[in-house]
Amino acid sequence: MGWTDIRSGLAACYDFKQSNQPAKGGTLKSDCGGTCANFQSSPWHTGFLIQTAAVLSFLLSGSVQAADSATAKALVVNLCSACHGLDGNSTDPKFPKLAGRHPEYLVRELKEFVSGARKSDIMTPIAKTLDPDEFKGLGEYFGAQKPGSGVVLDQKMAASGMKLYQDGDEERGVPACSGCHSSTGAGSKRFPRLAGQHKEYLIQQMQDFRSDARSGAGSRLMREVTKRLSDDEIKAVAEYLTGL
Amino acid sequence: MVKWMTKLLVALWWLPLVALAQGQAPATAGSGVRAWNEIKGEKREVLKLQGDVARGEEAFKICQGCHKQGATGSSSGAYPRLAGQHATVLIEQMTDIRSGIRRNPKMAPFADEHVLTTQEIADIARFLQALPIQANLGRGPGNSLDRGKALYEKDCVICHGNKGQGDAEKFFPLVAGQHFKYLLRQAVSIRDGQRGNANPDMAKVLKPYSDGDLEAVADYMSGLAAP
Repeated sequence: MGWTDIRSGLAACYDFKQSNQPAKGGTLKSDCGGTCANFQSSPWHTGFLIQTAAVLSFLLSGSVQAADSATAKALVVNLCSACHGLDGNSTDPKFPKLAGRHPEYLVRELKEFVSGARKSDIMTPIAKTLDPDEFKGLGEYFGAQKPGSGVVLDQKMAASGMKLYQDGDEERGVPACSGCHSSTGAGSKRFPRLAGQHKEYLIQQMQDFRSDARSGAGSRLMREVTKRLSDDEIKAVAEYLTGL
Repeated sequence: MVKWMTKLLVALWWLPLVALAQGQAPATAGSGVRAWNEIKGEKREVLKLQGDVARGEEAFKICQGCHKQGATGSSSGAYPRLAGQHATVLIEQMTDIRSGIRRNPKMAPFADEHVLTTQEIADIARFLQALPIQANLGRGPGNSLDRGKALYEKDCVICHGNKGQGDAEKFFPLVAGQHFKYLLRQAVSIRDGQRGNANPDMAKVLKPYSDGDLEAVADYMSGLAAP
């Protein structure tokens, strides 16, 4: 079958005035004659459709991604920013900063709120209203924001917090936090960024781990670590981290 | 002459049995003595698994807070250098700590089943075995090395090797260049029956050692070059 045959086959089978691309649903003529039948059953037809579909999906994929991030942005504007801020740097220390946190970490936490692995009176109902397909877009949105730092008010406390964060306490078997959360506090997809976080939020999370109130991935380890810390040490580490 | 000899042999047929009974017969169930390093349960499972170095590197990150990046440990003796240790030995220690056979309340929660999976133990062991060994990070005072060398060659070479390289198949750890204070702490713990998963032969060997003897031999081992 030559190119001319393909063209006449296409013309016979598809009404191109309706739509120019058969793969996109160009109307198949219902009364096409023998040429159409022959063409439709030929491998050229299938190959043509596959090729067109492939080209189209490539061209459209950019715009589908844009749609994802547009939806995510809309969600942030209409929902998340009320607590977490439009740029993910919340002002109320009850609500954690999300800016610059690893997207996969954020997605994991959202999934845990939905599954109940991690409990939060505030986040659980909110996360459950979201379409899980949106999680990735939200993670990427916040992950791309520039993380802000807090203010260190007590330098002496921050210094002792730094020692604990970077070196741990060998006598009591307190691991250095930097071992997982990195020496800059930037964390990874597995261990969250702590640098620049609200100190009150950090203190609350550490206390929640210590009292077994916080559950979820990594919680078994964190519950043990925090049980080896005093109240003062928790405050000191938080004071240090907020300034990073 | 032959007749006399035969009579003697017949009379003393029971002697070899006594020698056997005194020797290292494996402990039987209910004898009250647990066999050393029984390959059963999770330990058996892990030893059968294929460990993956890349996965092990990721899984090891939760251990870095104490054992440090590069698994170099601490010269204070709190945490051993793990880099380059035999994977078999590491698997034995991790599973023994997890099950409580080796008494280590500081580490046990971090080796808990909710923190590390069975596969991760195999992965971590494989990763650590492949790490470069930094020797002599925590050397001893160096004031009784001759005594230490003499003791080591008399009592320790047979298991830990003439270079302190250990034996992977027999689960004898590599000791060359390990932190002095860690070696000392473990030697004391094994001599005094505190460790829990100590090799009974080793406990027997160390029983007559004074604290000074243990210091000397630990000092000597901490100075051995990395294999």
